[in-house]
Formats: sequence, C-alpha cells, structure tokens
Amino acid sequence: MHDKPIISWRAAGVSLGLLLTLATYLVSPLGVSTQFVVTDAIALHSIAPEMAETNAYLAKYGTKQDWGVGYGWMLVFGMLIGAAVTSRALGHKQPEEDKGSMPRLWATQFGPSRIKRLSAAFAGGLLLLFGARLAGGCTSGHMISGISQLAVGSLIFGIVTFSVAILTAKFLFRQRGN
Amino acid sequence: MTLMIGFLIGCAFGAILYLGGASSYRNILGTLLLKDMTIIKLMMTAIGVGTLGIYLLDLGQLAHMSVKPAYLWGIAAGGGIFGIGWAVSGYCPGTCVVGTAEGKLDAVATLIGALVGAFLFAIAFPSLDALLIQNANFGKITLSDLIGVPGFYIAAAMSAALLFLAFFVLKDRYE
Repeated sequence: MHDKPIISWRAAGVSLGLLLTLATYLVSPLGVSTQFVVTDAIALHSIAPEMAETNAYLAKYGTKQDWGVGYGWMLVFGMLIGAAVTSRALGHKQPEEDKGSMPRLWATQFGPSRIKRLSAAFAGGLLLLFGARLAGGCTSGHMISGISQLAVGSLIFGIVTFSVAILTAKFLFRQRGN
Repeated sequence: MTLMIGFLIGCAFGAILYLGGASSYRNILGTLLLKDMTIIKLMMTAIGVGTLGIYLLDLGQLAHMSVKPAYLWGIAAGGGIFGIGWAVSGYCPGTCVVGTAEGKLDAVATLIGALVGAFLFAIAFPSLDALLIQNANFGKITLSDLIGVPGFYIAAAMSAALLFLAFFVLKDRYE
C-alpha cells in the first residue's frame, strides 16, 4: 500500500537525533519558534522602527543595526529550502493523502469549505506562537532539544502540550450524534 | 561560517520532517487521536538518539547545551495554548514552514497566524512577564540537578526506555 511516509519513522527519528547531536556539537541545539519573533522584529524595524525599539520583547531580538539574522534564523530559512527541494525531487513518492491544502481527514469532519480550513489554520498558528513564546519554546526547542538535554521545563512543556493537544483533538473529532 | 552551518542543518531538518511525514495533517492528528503512532515514534527515537548523543558529547565537554529556564506557570499556560493550536492547525512552528515549502495553503495560513501570534505575544509580554515568567521560575535546571545523578546516566536510561518503547512496545496503529 502506497500509504506510508517516504522514509520510515525509524530512519527519520535516528537521523533527527544525529542531526540534533551534530548541531549541539557545532553551535547549539535546534529551535524554531524564536525565529518568528526575529522575523517580526525585522519586519517592524523596516515599517515602524520606533515601535520595534520600544517594545521590550522585540527589542531583545534585533536593533536597527543588527536585525538578528543569525544561526537560528538561517536554520529556519534552511528548513524552507531543504523541504522545498526535497518535496520537488521526491514528491512523487509522497502518499496522495498527504498532499494538498485540504486534508481529507479535516474535510470528512468539518466539510469541504476552504475558508473554514484556512481560518482554523490561521487561528491555530496564532495560538501556536503565542503559546510557544510564553512557554519559551516549541516542538523542536522544548520537546526534541529540551527533553534530550533533560531540561525540567521542557519535560513539563511536553507533558502539558501533549495532554491538551490530545484532549483538543478528541474533542474536535468526537462522534457527532446521528 | 556559523550562518552557513545553520543553513545546512536547517536544510537537513526540513528534509527529514518532510520525508518522515511530519508535515501531514493526517499523521499529526493520527498521533493526537492516539491511532497512528508514526509521529510519536519518530519523536521518541529522535529524543532517544539525541539525548545519548548530547550527553556523550557532554562527557568530553563538547556539548553546546542551551537549557531553557523552568518557570512553571508560563510553561504550563503556554504549553496549553500551544496544544490547542497544534490540534486545530495540525502543524507546529517547524512543520508549518515545511508545509509552506511544499506549497500547502493551510500551512501558509498557519505560518501567517504564527507571525501574528508572535507579535501579539510581544505586545502582551510586559503584562505577562512578572506574573507568569518571573514567578515560580526555577532557572535552567535539568533532571540531573533535580535528582543529583550525573546527566549521562539519566540520558542513557531515558534513551533505552524511549527506544525500547518505540521499537518494541508501541504498535504502528491502534483502532
């Protein structure tokens, strides 16, 4: 059956663990969510520099002289390029169900409206980054890198996040009364 | 040079997430609905290998660790908000970048939402800082600090447990 991801979870998991080790040896562990703040800071510096300089949080991630494009930002930019190249080269091996902007599982539960899917994705993204910045990390920085370093805060993040996400998913996909 | 290393590590990271199916709504929701274990097994394997790798490096003083501070209320509240966003969008901050690279419009919507969410947090930060981040903040502590056992032993035990669970206990699918 042409249904599984292009590489197995074993291959992906082992390579991700080795990549994390290499990153920790060369520079520092993997992280993504901080770079959304850096990107905001860069954008705001070009639109409204006063506001960017006076905001206590954004000012931490770049000034007029230095936009904060460092190792971390290049890493996330690299993810974009790496995934773009790989998906163009090997897209023919990706299961059909994993392609496109309207997941079949979503459409089965919530209907085929594109507006509904895009609105939910936008709202979900907003919650993701608000939550990640409040907690200080996301799936990569807290869960993968943080738990690997045995960080207590990251273990708490992992437990809370998975519990709430599972409850939310179970609620969203509860059986509708027929 | 550091910029180039970051770029290359990012390329590999993005490729692995794409190839492993982590940017697929079906696979993420499958894990959160506790039916398809692909993604959780991928994560357990990554942590199992990563923790051993990092603490082996640490034995030779070669690890550039970056432990995040443990502030209970902010992490619990932020984790909860993050969990809802994860289940609703089917993406996390890293995989929405990967989905965007694939040309998925729902991933683009998540990415834009994420940029807005980060901006809203920047505005809210001064009023949340004292209450949720400075409060009950135990600093950059690890399990090793907490229980007083060298990190390598804990990492080795956790690695063995996670890899055993992923490879030999959990099934690929539960109905």
